[in-house]
Amino acid sequence: MSSRIPNSLEELPVSEIRWIGKGVERLEDPSLVTGRTEFIDNVVLPGMLHCAILRSTYAHARIVSIDSSAAEEMEGVYAVITGRDAARLTNPATTAPEGWGAYCLAHEKTRFVGEPMVAVAATSRYLAEDALELIIVEYEELPVVANAQAALAADAALLFEEHGSNVMLQRKFTWGEVDSAFDQADLVVSDDYRWNRLGANPMETFGCVVDWNPADDMLTCRGSFQSQSYMGLARSLVLGLPSNQVRMISHPHGGSFGGKGGFRGVDICALLSKAASGRPVKWIEDRLEYLLAGAGQSWDREYTLQLALKKDGTVTGLRVKLLDDMGGTAEAFGAVSAAKPLAAFTGCYAIQAAEYDLTLVATNKVPQSPYRGMGPPPHNWVLEQTMDKAARELGLDPAEIRRRNYIPADAFPYTIASGNEYDSGNYEAALDALLDMADYQKLCAERDSAQAEGRLLGLGLVNTIEPGVFDWNAYAIVGLESTGVPEGITVAIDVMGRITARLGFSLEGQGQYTLVAQVLADYFAVTPADVSIVYQDSLSAPPHFGPGGSRLGVAITGAALGAAHLLERKLARVAAVLLQCGPDDVELMDGFLRVRAMPEAKMHFAEVAGAMLARSDLLPEDIDPQPQATYVWTAPGRTPADEQGRAKSYLTAANACHLVKVEVDPDTGTVDILGYWLVDDCGTRLNPVTVEGQTMGGIAQGVGAALLEEYVYDESAQPLTSSFMDYLLPSVYEVPRVEKKALTTPSPFTPLGAKGCGEGAMHTTPAAIMCAINDALSPLGLSAREVPASPRRLWKLLHENAD
Amino acid sequence: MGERKISRVTVEVTVNGRRQSAELEPRVTLADFLRVELGLTGTHLGCEHGVCGACTVLLDGRAVRSCIMLAVQATGHEVTTIEALANEGELHPLQQAFVDKHGLQCGFCTPGFIMAAAELLERDPDPSEQALLETLGGQVCRCTGYEAIIESVRDAAEKLRQRGVGPLGLLAAALEKKAAPSGNGGGE
Repeated sequence: MSSRIPNSLEELPVSEIRWIGKGVERLEDPSLVTGRTEFIDNVVLPGMLHCAILRSTYAHARIVSIDSSAAEEMEGVYAVITGRDAARLTNPATTAPEGWGAYCLAHEKTRFVGEPMVAVAATSRYLAEDALELIIVEYEELPVVANAQAALAADAALLFEEHGSNVMLQRKFTWGEVDSAFDQADLVVSDDYRWNRLGANPMETFGCVVDWNPADDMLTCRGSFQSQSYMGLARSLVLGLPSNQVRMISHPHGGSFGGKGGFRGVDICALLSKAASGRPVKWIEDRLEYLLAGAGQSWDREYTLQLALKKDGTVTGLRVKLLDDMGGTAEAFGAVSAAKPLAAFTGCYAIQAAEYDLTLVATNKVPQSPYRGMGPPPHNWVLEQTMDKAARELGLDPAEIRRRNYIPADAFPYTIASGNEYDSGNYEAALDALLDMADYQKLCAERDSAQAEGRLLGLGLVNTIEPGVFDWNAYAIVGLESTGVPEGITVAIDVMGRITARLGFSLEGQGQYTLVAQVLADYFAVTPADVSIVYQDSLSAPPHFGPGGSRLGVAITGAALGAAHLLERKLARVAAVLLQCGPDDVELMDGFLRVRAMPEAKMHFAEVAGAMLARSDLLPEDIDPQPQATYVWTAPGRTPADEQGRAKSYLTAANACHLVKVEVDPDTGTVDILGYWLVDDCGTRLNPVTVEGQTMGGIAQGVGAALLEEYVYDESAQPLTSSFMDYLLPSVYEVPRVEKKALTTPSPFTPLGAKGCGEGAMHTTPAAIMCAINDALSPLGLSAREVPASPRRLWKLLHENAD
Repeated sequence: MGERKISRVTVEVTVNGRRQSAELEPRVTLADFLRVELGLTGTHLGCEHGVCGACTVLLDGRAVRSCIMLAVQATGHEVTTIEALANEGELHPLQQAFVDKHGLQCGFCTPGFIMAAAELLERDPDPSEQALLETLGGQVCRCTGYEAIIESVRDAAEKLRQRGVGPLGLLAAALEKKAAPSGNGGGE
């Protein structure tokens, strides 16, 4: 049934909005601050076994033999499985692009260090790890493909022999008259860039408890699943079970940022459970496993970017060439990160001719996974840093070259060259607000005088788009072609008049249960504390996807409003019977069903619901007597991708403008962030405190990306970053205090005008910091074109290029 | 094969005011003892190599990383975990401050931050910026960007100063109250 989703707060059936748009205290917090939240590692089931995984020590090797007999005989060990079992009982992982998947345990050969080889289930994790020490694997080393360039060599070893090449995807997309734009350009600016691997690293690693009941062949998977329905469908394909025999129970997770899921861990535990006569098997990935081979490595990219410009700074053409090292398989859907830039390919700019020359290759590194931002953060960096280079060559201020290329505020909705439609925005207003807030002129003067003294002080001014509310069609070019991502919710009123909302995703930190409570509280004129949010598993909940692609705040608001409206219509019909008038004469206002023409004739919604539950015999027989309704929201107006990948994909386009002041220490190569300002616009802010939290978290991850975080491999594809002593996360010392301002340009297409904002600053911060570093280095004629700009890299740049 | 003799040791430790003893393999970490043996699952494991601080608990009032300490090393000592802080449904001022100042998102690292802050505020009720950074610099949060955490600890410090009590002093008083005879013949 369709429902009417209010696009603005004025349309809600209350005379005063009390909760939406306010920094409402989160319902989630008391449980979290007392340590009561049921994270997956808390789960203990009767008869539960613990899994430990033996991992490959070689990047590329044939498996000659595996001897696990001693482990199998060890006391406390109930099951040992290898790739042979996986090949016998399962299918290789489904992948995008298709056909680059492996079994959950390496079969015949291993393609990356850390790939699961053998798994053990024992009565404790300690014993399971003891058992691993008794297993002997004999390998025959194969030549290693250590990086993307090596993958393309004519004599490169092959990751998947059946493909005859390591190229997963190679295609050039052309949108508009690109060649003529470059032919007729007054100036072409070009640079090469390198973005190194980094990744999500939520503070909680992945974990699951799986039981495969031999009696009814029902698979029950508990775990920290970011998207339980999606995970469940993939398990059904891999394990050969009907989709309704795979029940996913998602626990709250300690952060996710895109990489939570752990396909292989679930499949391994499923096979162990089957081998152990259906006993539940728990696997909690430890941090060393996560860093070695978890779903936490993303974006391993070599870029060339070219801009065609007119003398006045107008950009008329954009060429992006990307070579992305996807690692050993395509199992974790890392390739979507190379496709997502299509949703905002030209950033904030009205560039109508663009080209994307894309090559994805397989190497002997860990398969890439999604990470917050899903690909645009590196794309934004190379675009923005090249804009700065163009500005320098034209003698324009970075603010000015951007201003001259903005999509004008009156041009929305605006279709960009790569096909997506931006809903709304006012980029110049955000820029002006930022320059004003930060006193940009003064900062420039300060920078100039510092540079005159020889200090390496610089400013970075950057603006980006955050595509919000993803759709699969955005990733059509890597093989995911469907459209429509559902999010459903059931809203029910009980006999005491209390409201319960039932939905299909668990908490991971963005406060979405609070958001649902805020929306329903304002719809029915109660308080958020009067609303209970109940999580349901994948077979019980209304159709759902959960968080991902900056969608859930918008999607769940649409679902909650849709369900509330359907429920209101049902209550109105019942109230009309009770108040003896026509159903169209009744409306909901401030929690009461009232007769429009006679507002004093009214009943509280709880009374109406109570009548439905107690006396359904009095109701007309075509009325469903349950005081509850379900609504499944999908983004409106999405279109299938054309042959060049163009589609209306992401529903919203939030924008942000950041300014950062840095100083580079020439003696150590370290970067100090001396000031940080930002203005952002994500439409209506449903809970401003939550939005700010997302922004600040994105900044922290952006700082890590720009300055610290990198998965390093040696020339034989052996990982060198295997602990938090090597893979550096930003701490309280590195993340700056930020001066912020919000603008509000509501989306015309979404519930209440909100835009996706969960990835936020991650789109902008790395670019802003890199641009600031390059501004600082510009008097020396140097440019930093590799991320992270670690002390070692900057020091080398400064000293190896010194006179 | 199959014969594995692993020795066991006796661990005797006071946890949140209660004496506990267990026979454990000597290799069992304090974190696993708390989580698995005692069911105190509020102490979380983020890295298990002593960097992230999620597993921080107090040992005789000092912040320690329970992932790189063995349970047997805690014998004869007093351990305080996040579970001790709230009192009959009332959040501890540190917990309340994290709620009020949005000092958490996913909340996985939060118990560790709160325990580390408790140690700091007990010895330094009005910590300088530098002291705050030194304490919080030993804890990793991937969600919040830290600013809100700093504000939370400052807010808690102020509330505690107003009440004239340290975070652990408050705890001791609550534990004492719970331990006192109820006068109706009850007790354990």
